[in-house]
Amino acid sequence: MEGDIMNIGAGLAIGLGAIGPGIGIGMLASKAMEALGRNPEAGDQIQQNMILAIAFTEAIAIYALVVAIIIKFV
Amino acid sequence: MLSSPRSLAILIIVAAVFVVSILGGALGNALGFGFLASPLLAIQIPAELVTDIGTESFHFSLMNTMVTTWIAMLLLVIIAAKIRGGLSEVPGRFQALFEVLIEFFLKLCESVAGKEKARRFFPLVFTIFLFIVAANWMGILPGFGTIGRIADPVEIAHHHGDHAYVDPGAGDYHGKSKAHGDDHGDDHDSHLGSVKLHVFNNSGGLAILTPGSLSDELTFDDYDAAHGDVGKGKTVGHLVPFLRSANADINVTLAMAIVAMVMVHYWGLSILGAFGHLGKFINFREGPIGFFVGILEIISEIAKVISFTFRLFGNIFAGEVLLMAMGFLLPLIGIIPFMGLELFVGIIQAFIFSMLTLVFASMASISHGGEHH
Repeated sequence: MEGDIMNIGAGLAIGLGAIGPGIGIGMLASKAMEALGRNPEAGDQIQQNMILAIAFTEAIAIYALVVAIIIKFV
Repeated sequence: MLSSPRSLAILIIVAAVFVVSILGGALGNALGFGFLASPLLAIQIPAELVTDIGTESFHFSLMNTMVTTWIAMLLLVIIAAKIRGGLSEVPGRFQALFEVLIEFFLKLCESVAGKEKARRFFPLVFTIFLFIVAANWMGILPGFGTIGRIADPVEIAHHHGDHAYVDPGAGDYHGKSKAHGDDHGDDHDSHLGSVKLHVFNNSGGLAILTPGSLSDELTFDDYDAAHGDVGKGKTVGHLVPFLRSANADINVTLAMAIVAMVMVHYWGLSILGAFGHLGKFINFREGPIGFFVGILEIISEIAKVISFTFRLFGNIFAGEVLLMAMGFLLPLIGIIPFMGLELFVGIIQAFIFSMLTLVFASMASISHGGEHH
């Protein structure tokens, strides 16, 4: 019985936890594309800052994944 | 695509491999076919023990991630010695590759931190990048996570907390009652009873998960019910890999995060002086709000260590679990696209770790007034 609820918990943890970062990364990338279209000369700067910001957002999804893995395997 | 007979032949071969791997894998096991199916490796978050070294006074447990860390370090030292020993004015390809990398990172350091500080920050940033790339890319080589030793049921029970477990397959079982049911309450009994044991075809030394043994998987309860008899020449247990991706261990990533943040604070102290650096965190100059901002900054420093650790650990460990799960579901070809993903993730996470160290170092070495333009 607890095994079932723990499996549901692991699934919910990563499923719900990936919603926010997914939307966030999408917004980041879209604004970066926009900025790149407006000012192609700053392309390198925009790209590096975009990658940095995506790393921060992705980390939140990774925290959710680690919680899901801990629930499932520990 | 179906135009020439050669492309048609390639298509047919790929489709055949696909069908064979579906039928042979875990999905085909339910239909009765699973000839390639091996059980999913017993995944756990802490690193697994390879061997114990030492006597009663000095005891060292060698973990499989420590072995990989040493191999990665050895690789980097060998590459460095080779390049340094063979430096020439007209670079060969190997030296040229590292010249490209070093130039890229030096330019990155200069653009983020300014010319004077770039040279100070560069060694740590580049070393972190090289070590993480080496460790991540080594972790997807064949042999990592697949070749190892067999952990017998006593060790598995010990790991799950049941210290009085007696193996019914070992020689000294005769007549003893099942020890694991007596001393502990119902929780331990049901928890250990449902842990699965895998069946191997050999008894010692190097072992791999045997293809086709998915249907032979049994739980501790089944194992006790069969009185430890699983057939001649077969051993029961879990596979403990000798090699595991180095950054799939929280200790490794935590150590690197601590080193990075300690160096960031050291640079902040040495460039800004004690009062300048600590004045950012204990800030009475701008009134009560400044004080609370300082406290938030302290919390944010701790959060940086934690986020460094879990970002790298989560990416690499999840990638490892993903490769194992895809290898379990589609044995021959399932992991091919995910290898590409792991290559990409490996280098991106290395770049992110080193770039974030650089950005934090540069932010820590700019005085408080310099941030307001």
